Amino acid sequence: MTSKNSFWASCRENHKRRIWVWIVAVLSQLLVYGGMTIVYLSRIKSFYEDGVYRTAQAFREAMYQAARDAIGFSDNVFPVTIILGAIIGIQGFSYLYDRRKVDLYHSVPVTKGRRFAVVYVNGLMIWLLSNLLGLFVGMIIAGTQGAVNTAVIADAGLAFLWNLFLFLVSYHVMILSVMLTGNRFVTIGAYLVFGLFEICTNALHNAMSGAYYDTYITTFVDSDPKFSPYYDCTAYIWRLKSLQEVGEKARLALPIMGKWVLIAAAFLALAWIAYRKRASEAAGKAIAFPWLKPFVKIAVTIPGALVIGLVVYDSSNGNQTLMALGIIVGVILLCAALEVIYAFDIRCIVKHLPSSGIAVFGALAIFCTFKWDLTGYDSYIPAQNKVESIAISLDCYYDNYWDENRNYISSDEYIKKHMFLNDLEPVLALAEMGRQTASEDMKESRSLYVLYRLKSGREKARRIAVDYHDPKAAAYLNEIFRTDEFKRGIYQVMTDENYCDGVTKITYSNGPARITVSPKEAETLRAAWIKDMEQFDFTLARDGMPCGEITLEYADYSQRQWYVYETFAETIACLDRNEAFYPAKLNAEDVDYITVTNYHNELTQEDMEIGIEARETAQAYDVDYTVKETFTDPAQIEDILSAIHCTYLVSPWGNYDGTENGYSVEVVFKKDSAYPYDRNAYYFNYEFIKGQVPEFVVEATEYKGNTE
Amino acid sequence: MIEIHNLTKRFDQIKAVDEVSVTIREKTVFGLIGTNGAGKSTVLRMIAGVIKPDEGTVAVDNMPVFDNVEAKKRMFFIADEPYFFANANAGTMERYFSGIYEAFDREEFYRYLEKFSLDKNRKIGTFSKGMKKQLALLLGICAHTKYILCDETFDGLDPVMRQGIKSIFAKEMEERGLTPVIASHNLRELEDICDHVGLLHKGGVLLSKDLEDMKCNIQKVQCVFATVDDEIKALNGLEVLKKEQRGSLSTITVRSGREEVEARLATVDTVFYEVLPLSLEEIFISETEVVGYDIKKLILG
Repeated sequence: MTSKNSFWASCRENHKRRIWVWIVAVLSQLLVYGGMTIVYLSRIKSFYEDGVYRTAQAFREAMYQAARDAIGFSDNVFPVTIILGAIIGIQGFSYLYDRRKVDLYHSVPVTKGRRFAVVYVNGLMIWLLSNLLGLFVGMIIAGTQGAVNTAVIADAGLAFLWNLFLFLVSYHVMILSVMLTGNRFVTIGAYLVFGLFEICTNALHNAMSGAYYDTYITTFVDSDPKFSPYYDCTAYIWRLKSLQEVGEKARLALPIMGKWVLIAAAFLALAWIAYRKRASEAAGKAIAFPWLKPFVKIAVTIPGALVIGLVVYDSSNGNQTLMALGIIVGVILLCAALEVIYAFDIRCIVKHLPSSGIAVFGALAIFCTFKWDLTGYDSYIPAQNKVESIAISLDCYYDNYWDENRNYISSDEYIKKHMFLNDLEPVLALAEMGRQTASEDMKESRSLYVLYRLKSGREKARRIAVDYHDPKAAAYLNEIFRTDEFKRGIYQVMTDENYCDGVTKITYSNGPARITVSPKEAETLRAAWIKDMEQFDFTLARDGMPCGEITLEYADYSQRQWYVYETFAETIACLDRNEAFYPAKLNAEDVDYITVTNYHNELTQEDMEIGIEARETAQAYDVDYTVKETFTDPAQIEDILSAIHCTYLVSPWGNYDGTENGYSVEVVFKKDSAYPYDRNAYYFNYEFIKGQVPEFVVEATEYKGNTE
Repeated sequence: MIEIHNLTKRFDQIKAVDEVSVTIREKTVFGLIGTNGAGKSTVLRMIAGVIKPDEGTVAVDNMPVFDNVEAKKRMFFIADEPYFFANANAGTMERYFSGIYEAFDREEFYRYLEKFSLDKNRKIGTFSKGMKKQLALLLGICAHTKYILCDETFDGLDPVMRQGIKSIFAKEMEERGLTPVIASHNLRELEDICDHVGLLHKGGVLLSKDLEDMKCNIQKVQCVFATVDDEIKALNGLEVLKKEQRGSLSTITVRSGREEVEARLATVDTVFYEVLPLSLEEIFISETEVVGYDIKKLILG
């Protein structure tokens, strides 16, 4: 029998005063688990009835997945978990707000430690039991529908831990918020500050850096919040949902959960200390520890005022004086608001001016630091002897990358992991050239994203402005591009020995033609292409136009492309052996006609300039200068074919200066042609190579005024 | 015994209690008198261990009280606005307190409830202010603690109930040595119940004395002396606190024992004399005037 004074008897007694929290917790958990399981499974069954799933196996897999989505890692559960943590935390310790309750609870012969433990454990039990009940109900519902297997159970188990630790974080943050305050309204404010402070200040820092630093980039460096579980939730839940293997999920989730445990433990420790130190007479006051007030005021008003400043900056078209004014007014308003909240008295609006002054000074100091780059952010170039290695990426090249588990990863992530340039000089020289670029020019220039890995272990990322047509810059870029480290860092095909595993189809295309090559040729083609890539450098990347592309299709329907240039002899020979190579230039006898559209951009541009000057833009923009002409003469077709390049093979490196952007060309094949063009596409888009528009095309597409 | 030594408590910039030192003896009814804001509630809350003094000590039977379960087991604190759980009835509160105070006498509690006509099943939220205070007192009495601390608890009780509670106090004091400590702003409320009184003003103690001592040591005499010389001779050597003259009738308040005063008056020629009993109010007026305060302004209004 439980003694009347035992811990559990106290817990039972405490539960009697938390009935409504029990009801809220149980109902919400039943809804998010049981309710959502019914909804998800019903949807899959409805799809099945509509014939979406062709096989019973596919239907069963979909049912399992739906069950995992409902009772495993679910984006329905985590918001409820966070909210329940907050509700249970504030309700459990809210007696501290009320002097009458404090008089009762603190006068009876129960130690403070015992009372804390009873309320804390009770809160934990409310969530645990309600969550397990919801999980059990969800599992039963899924089980009756045949949607439970070991993977679903394992997923639910792992997600349970994920939600438990998330609950603990929210719960402990709220307990600390209660301990530091003496009023519900202020407690909720404190909870939001604790929960969102890092996310908001991080976003503010990124926004300020983006607004003021020309070299600021988010590439390579992790600029995401580090300690915010709420951010982690939103950032990882989709990835966790998408992973199929529980082991993979565990590898991703466990370190995050470990971090949450530490955060939760830290908040609980602080809450305990605050509880021990908190005076009973703090009941009803805004802040339980008066010495905290100026710190809270400064910590809250500075970022708040900077946000106001940024809003003013944006809405005033970048007026910096107004922004500074906005910051000052913002600090004053927020300080006044906080003073009123502290005292619950409007007359206290101008109290404690010294801390308000510090807040104004702090906010302006941060503004000035960014405005005048007092930390030398933009001029930063590390000394060569302090750099271990460098990784770079360009703003113009994209590829698909995957990790060792064949999960997609970003190009930044891949390059950061695989590119280690040891020849530092060309990069640092480019950085020095970029430093000389005026701020206005930087906005227009091309970019090189650089990650400096310092010998100290730190990493710094910067954007370098580069003029791709500056011979000096091009020479440095050539030096970089020709290194193995660069090529291996940017082309996964060169390093990943399993790159060709799972290839189900290989095609070669020059635009209109698409020829299939046996998947067995994958490794041979790969070796030939890697060999040809020895000649790859910046000049080829900038000026070269691929004559075709090899596409590898995988079992999971994903694709990879390798661009082929006319100088890639090994690759072309290999394609030839497989009767797959077709040159970029088409034969005139295969073409029925060609339609050229001249947009007369030069006239539109003139109009814009005139319009801007004359403020008559509305009328000017209405004029359509487009002239379209069809060419059927074989000689003219031959001339045009010699001067055009397939649009989607123009430049994988984003050098669009190589073509005339005022024209578009449509090539239409003869229906009886033996050329293996895609019959479904019918016609194909091309562009004129820069400076090669035939004279007769220019004349035929000349704008002769509005004929209507 | 509750020993309070140099107790000081500040709330923000306000010194609510300023170096209060008082000793509360066992088996006495201790009255803590003072105006609103004098610091009575703060002193009681510090005795109860609800709030921690900034300076000074509170010892209950030689034990520090703050966050000390053993000390708190000996006390039951009834705040000026006692808190009862939402939707609770008397039974709910009994179950809560009987789970906390080991000696809680449930049978006695329900017996008292009946005696005071309080319905054990009725929600406390529907009780009148006086009924809530009765309930709090009954819970406190039945908790069988050695000390019961009552903050303005008698305020709002009708005379019949007051008498009933006083009878219970008397019984409990006799049977098990209960020591009630009663704080009130109303001097008259404590007159017939307290054995010892502490007067608080602006956070400090103006005086702390046994009522009997005070009553025995201050006498009011109405007297008509035969001659002025008789009067001078009679009062010579006595500490005269106050003297009023209406015609030949003198009303004199002196600090002295009754026997000594009567002996003095017997040695002189008087037309008439009578030693009158003093009310607590009169004693306080006399005592506080001595230390420079006008008690009427402080308490009696």
